[in-house]
Parts: sequence; structure tokens; C-alpha cells
Amino acid sequence: MTDLWPVVEPLLARVERPARYTDREWGALHRPEAPYRVALLYPDTYELGMANSALAILYARLNTLEGVAAERVFVPWVDMGAAMREARVPLFTLESCMPVAECDLLGITLPYELTYTNILEALDLSGVPLRAAERSDGDVLVIGGGPCVFNPEPVAEFFDAILIGEGEDAVADIVEAHREAKAAGLSRAEVLERLSSVQGVYVPSLYAPATADVPARPLEGSRAPARVVKRVVQTLSAHATPPCPVVPFMDVIHDRASVEILRGCSRGCRFCQAGMVYRPVRERTPDEIVRDALAQLRCTGHEDVSLTSLSTTDHSRIEEVLRRLSAAVRGTGVALSLPSLRVDAFGVEMARLASSGGKKSGLTFAPEAGTQRLRDVINKNVSEEDLLATVRVAFGAGWRRVKLYFMCGLPTETDDDVRGIGALAWKVLDAAREATPPAQRGGIRIGVSVSVFVPKAVTPFQWEGQLPMEEVRRRQAILRDAMPRKGVDLHWHDAEVSFLEGALARGGRDLSRVIERVWREGGTFDAWTERFSFARWMDAFVAEGLDASALATAPRDPDAALPWDHISAGVDRAYLLSEREAAMGGRTTPDCTFDGCTGCGVCQDLGVDIVLAGGSRG
Amino acid sequence: MADTTFRLRVTYGKTGRLRFLSHLEVTHASERSVRRAGLAYAVTQGFNPRMKVAFGPALPVGTAGLAESYDVWLTRYLPPADALGELRRATPDGLAPIEARYVSEREPSLTAALTLAEYEVVVGGPDAGPDRVRTGLEAVLADGKLTLQHKGTPKVFDLAVFLPKEPTVGEYPGGSMVRMTTRMGASGTLRPEAFISEAIRRTSADGAVTSVTRTGLRPEGES
Repeated sequence: MTDLWPVVEPLLARVERPARYTDREWGALHRPEAPYRVALLYPDTYELGMANSALAILYARLNTLEGVAAERVFVPWVDMGAAMREARVPLFTLESCMPVAECDLLGITLPYELTYTNILEALDLSGVPLRAAERSDGDVLVIGGGPCVFNPEPVAEFFDAILIGEGEDAVADIVEAHREAKAAGLSRAEVLERLSSVQGVYVPSLYAPATADVPARPLEGSRAPARVVKRVVQTLSAHATPPCPVVPFMDVIHDRASVEILRGCSRGCRFCQAGMVYRPVRERTPDEIVRDALAQLRCTGHEDVSLTSLSTTDHSRIEEVLRRLSAAVRGTGVALSLPSLRVDAFGVEMARLASSGGKKSGLTFAPEAGTQRLRDVINKNVSEEDLLATVRVAFGAGWRRVKLYFMCGLPTETDDDVRGIGALAWKVLDAAREATPPAQRGGIRIGVSVSVFVPKAVTPFQWEGQLPMEEVRRRQAILRDAMPRKGVDLHWHDAEVSFLEGALARGGRDLSRVIERVWREGGTFDAWTERFSFARWMDAFVAEGLDASALATAPRDPDAALPWDHISAGVDRAYLLSEREAAMGGRTTPDCTFDGCTGCGVCQDLGVDIVLAGGSRG
Repeated sequence: MADTTFRLRVTYGKTGRLRFLSHLEVTHASERSVRRAGLAYAVTQGFNPRMKVAFGPALPVGTAGLAESYDVWLTRYLPPADALGELRRATPDGLAPIEARYVSEREPSLTAALTLAEYEVVVGGPDAGPDRVRTGLEAVLADGKLTLQHKGTPKVFDLAVFLPKEPTVGEYPGGSMVRMTTRMGASGTLRPEAFISEAIRRTSADGAVTSVTRTGLRPEGES
């Protein structure tokens, strides 16, 4: 294998943040002798990619396989990309500094629609043909995975295969199948046919894409499954948290130890794709969580540990976990942190336990909508009384900062709902003041962050239209007028970025032409405000004869085919439709981990069960 | 914090690929090494307790160091050789600790004490031999002053203050090597590559600084 370091090193003196490219961090794994080589690419910069837990899990997992080395790859920032092209240096892995194109497998995470152009940037810098159809037997096998796979069609043609669902077991199966196929001297087409028989693996080239009436279906003569069903692990207990993940030198986002204490969330918020596609809920036991957190702190030397999940304070034994962990780290300066909290006194109590008298950095809550009516529509089972009582408890306990997340443009939203966000912010501010001693009221900070609703695949709102941009801006103006002028910091998402995200999230295969055109016109790092060009995207849609507005804002007919109908997250279409009906009727649906099965179909379709460490919740 | 603490002075290198780290990255990495080594470190008092640790003068991104230092306060005495062994086990190669010893609380801080820095600067290029580079250095030194742009504003360095002794130039494969000592203080730090680059520019030689290594740090008056 080629070592590119001698040609990479001279470039580093003239680029920003060279530590992005140097490797040699604590925990980086070097297995030069392994014959089968995997490059794991996160399609953004080092500092974003190193925060990704899935990448850390798959890196650790693949490097335990006999004869396999997995190495990290990130997209070089614009300055380094230009320097590499000028010096004719191809994209390299960090650990061996070998060309990505010399690897056997290139795994690419699909974290967010706006990273799609970076996938092409990485393939091009690697010298790998952009489209699967253009690759030949000697080319690296390009496999995608991650959150965006539940509508893979916009990027399907760039991938040889895409893993739908969880990777812990599946990556081993994929590597095994590929190694056997290579050993048998199979052609690329035969390799792909074989991979399509691995559960959860979608091979786009074996399917005819969806038309308006007919869902995507396997090509004649192919043995690929009619529906690719999501891969899940039965229990997290079979996969301990990686004890020694790579410890970055650079200041990356989420620079801390982290333990995924549970996976999945069945609160059933109807806009939330994560809540639908990561089912069912599977908790780790308190023993596992404490063991994994302490092992990771010992091995990494991190000063913070975060207990991550979609709803951490829903863990059935979270109180025990926090008591044990805070006792274990007392006096070491190590801090525990929790992501967004449940809106109730219990959530605040858990935050108090986590901070154990130390730093109170700020609490985050997500009421999502400004009125009870709309919260019922989206199934966010939080009342105004809950929120205000929670705020009083938090400020009474010494917190001075809270952050509230809302959405604008949810189905059925009226101007009154938008003004309701402002009214709620006023009430939160008043409640915070009441609960804070007068001398300290100057320190009160209420952050209000309002994103734009983007309908996503595999949610009850997948058939809804997104608000046109002008309407988003009109509602944002109402929002601004309704907000308290002092004491509240208001942030909202950009209408153009949200519009594009919507167009990409529910598009079909033909979008690959738009993505490629944008990349050819210089589009990379679209998720970075300073790099994003809305005009470039709109020009590309026009040039390729596609209507971005129709993709984003037009409602879909529930009887028509959707581009992702051949991909199954295990959640039944009938359940999504019934939830949609309940939404329009303002009826809420309980969480099955508290109140019994609500019939989403995941446990039956995937042959799995909810796993609760305490036996029950609530 | 415990009543008695032990001030352990750790000397380490910043070499190889890790010379591309920034000072902040080196400090974070070193604190993490101390935690991984399992040393009983003292924690600062106050609202946001942190490890009690203090670093010597910063090294820029790209500059290597052969004998950099930090002080970390321990709550339990550990023989220096054991502390060094634990730290070496817990630190990436490019930042490997070389020495650990206890110093008195009465000693001044590293940044206050260590004001002289010794460097080896390698210049490479088709006509960057010692004679050419020496001529350039002499031209800059003859001015007595060097004006450099710092964040868009000119900053004037009085070379008699910032260069306590005259740089020397020697042979080096593919060019030459300059050995120089700079004085750091409240009024700033003269970056060796800026000084040498100016010298190369004066001679119009086809050459450039290819590496900078800080070989040592010392207090005034020692040689």
C-alpha cells in the first residue's frame, strides 16, 4: 500500500488547522498488516466527523475483525482540497495515509442532506468514478449508511450498496460477504448480487426506480428483496461502548466521552424521523452504563462524559445511573452532561444530580409548538403548566439559562400558533424571574431556537407539504414581533436552507443529477453558512428540469408511490396513516414504553422487543 | 484541594507530525495524559473545578520542541521516575515526556522564569547555503530593527533586545541551519521563521524555512 505522507506533509504548512490531517491521536488504531482495508468517511470536516458516535462504533467494531483494518477519512477543507489537487495528492486515510482508492471498502456516512455534495468531492479527490455504474472490478466498493438512508434515492446512484439500519452486526456480514466474493474471483456485478442477500443491504443498481404509480422494484432476474428491511440489533448489551475511542487533539464539537445509554424513542412525535426509524427502545443496564463510562474516562482522559440518546431522562433507571456515576467521579473535576431534558420536575432533578453541585451550564427543553392545540397535532405530550412548573423548579434550583426548541411551519399551524411561541416565551421569562432572587435576575437568559418544519420519510407527516419560503419568512416576522425584546435570544433557521433540505429529503433518483451539477459548479460544504449558495442549487434544479418547489412544498397523495416505498424501517404504512389521521383530529397517542403497544409494527416486523433495564417505565 | 500539594515539572517533546498541533491542543492533550496516567492531580477551587496545571511559553503550529515543560500539582507524592513512567505510558509518542522532577512552590512560574528560547531553523533551497543566508542575516542585523506585520498592524522589534546573542549559520543537507536564541517578554516574541524569512528575502536567494525546532528554554543568566 502506498504511503502518501511524504507528499501530504509539505502541504500542511500552508493550510488551516493541520491537525485535521496528521493522525497519531491517542486511540488511533494502526493495523498495517491487515489485508482487508476499510476507509470510513464522514462527509464533512474532521471536527464534525469526530463527534459522530456511529463512526466511533463502526471503527472499533471493524478493527476487531480478523484481517481487517478500518481507517478514518474526512473531507479536506477547501484550502487543503485545492492544495491536494494542485499537488496531485489523492484523498487519503488518516492512519496509514494510504489512498482511499486502494482500500477494499469505502464506507460513507449520510448524516444530513446538505453533505451530499461532499460525497462527490470525496469520491473525486479519491479518483473513484462518481457513479456506481461507471466503476469496474478493481474499484473500491462504496457503501453508504446512516440517518439519511430512509430515503436513499437522491444519492442512490453514487453508491454500490447502502446499509439500511444499524451497523454493529451488519458491517461484519458485509465484510465477510465481500471477502468471500473476492476470494472466489467474482465480478463486481456478482459481488453486488451477493451483497443484496445480506439483510438490510440495498443495492440500488438492482432496482428499477419508482415512478409516480409504481414503487421501486427489483430488476427482472435479480434475487434482491422487493423491500429492504432495516437491520437492528436485538440488545445493546451485545455491544459494549467502545472503551478507547480516538481522542482528538483538535477542539471538536462534543469533545467528550459518551455512552449511548439507550437507543430508540417511542414518544411518537409525528414530525420526528429519528423517533420512527430507530425503534424499538433498547436500554443499557445501569451496570453496563457505569462500567462503560468509567472505562472510557480511564482510557481517554476526557474531562466530560455525556449520557446520550434521543430521550435520556426516559431511561427507566436514570436516577440510579446518575447517583452511581456522580459518586464515582466526585473530586476529579470530571463533569456529567445530559442532552435535551424531559419537560418535568424529574428532568430538572436529574440535571441537578448530573451537575452534583458543580457547574450549572444551562438546560434545554423542546416544547416544539407554541399552543396546546398544535402540540396535540404533533403528539408532543407536554403542557404549558408542565413547562412553566419545570422552569420554576430549574431557576429555583439555581439555573439561570434555559434553551427552548420550537418548530415553525408544522402541519395545520396558524398565525395564532406562531404568536403562541412568543406568548410562551413571555410566560417562561416571567416564571424564571419569579423563581430567581431579585439581585440575580440580570443573569437570566432564555434562548429560543425555532427551526423550520421539514417533512421527512417514514413519519406520519411524510405526505405533507412544506411551507413556501415566502410564507416561512412571513411567519418568522410574526414570531419576532411576538417575542419579548429583552431577556430572550431568538434564533431561527434559514428559510432557504430548510427549503433545500426538504427538496432533497423527499426526492427521487433524478436528484442525483442536480447534486452532481451543484458539485461540478463548485458546491461543497453546503452545511457551512459561508459556503452555501442557494442560487447555485436553484440553477441546477432548473438546468436539470426538476421543480424544487414541487418536491418541497407539494403535498403527496397517500395513494401514490413514494420514492422510498421499497425501504422499510419496520414501521407500518397503516400506522403512519392512522397517526396522520389522529394528528389532523388533534388526538394524541401514548408512548408504548409507558402505556402498552400502539401498533407501529416494528417489533413484529423486525422480530425484536423493547428492552427496559428496570422492567418498566413510569 | 488537599492542604499539601506536590509541584511536578514535566519536560516533554513536541515532535514529528505532532509539531502541527497548536499550543491549546498541546495543553488539552497533556491534561488528558495526566488523567490517563492516573496521577492524583489537584483540582482548582471554585465554581468550575479544573486540573491545576501551568504551561511554559507557547509554541506555534508547525514548530517542533525538544524540551517543553508544564507543571502539574499532585495531591500525593509519587517518586518522579514512577510519575514519568505512568505519563509516558499514557501519552502519544510525539508528545512523549522526557523528564519529571519536583520543584519548590517558591520557584517562579515557567513563563516568568523561562525567557530565553533556543532554536534550530533549517533553510532549504537551491541557493540557501550558509554563506548566502549569513549575508542576509547580517543585512537584517545591521538595521538593528525589524518591522513585521502582526494581524495587519506593523510591529517593530528592537533586535538588540530580542536577540541576546548573534545567530550562527552552519551547513545542513540541502541548505543551511541557523542556530539562534530569542528573548521572550511582555513586549512580544520574535518568531524565528519571520526573522530568517526576512534574511532570505534580503539576499533574493531561492530558499525557504523548511523546519523550526525549539531545542531548549532557559532563564536569563544561564548558558
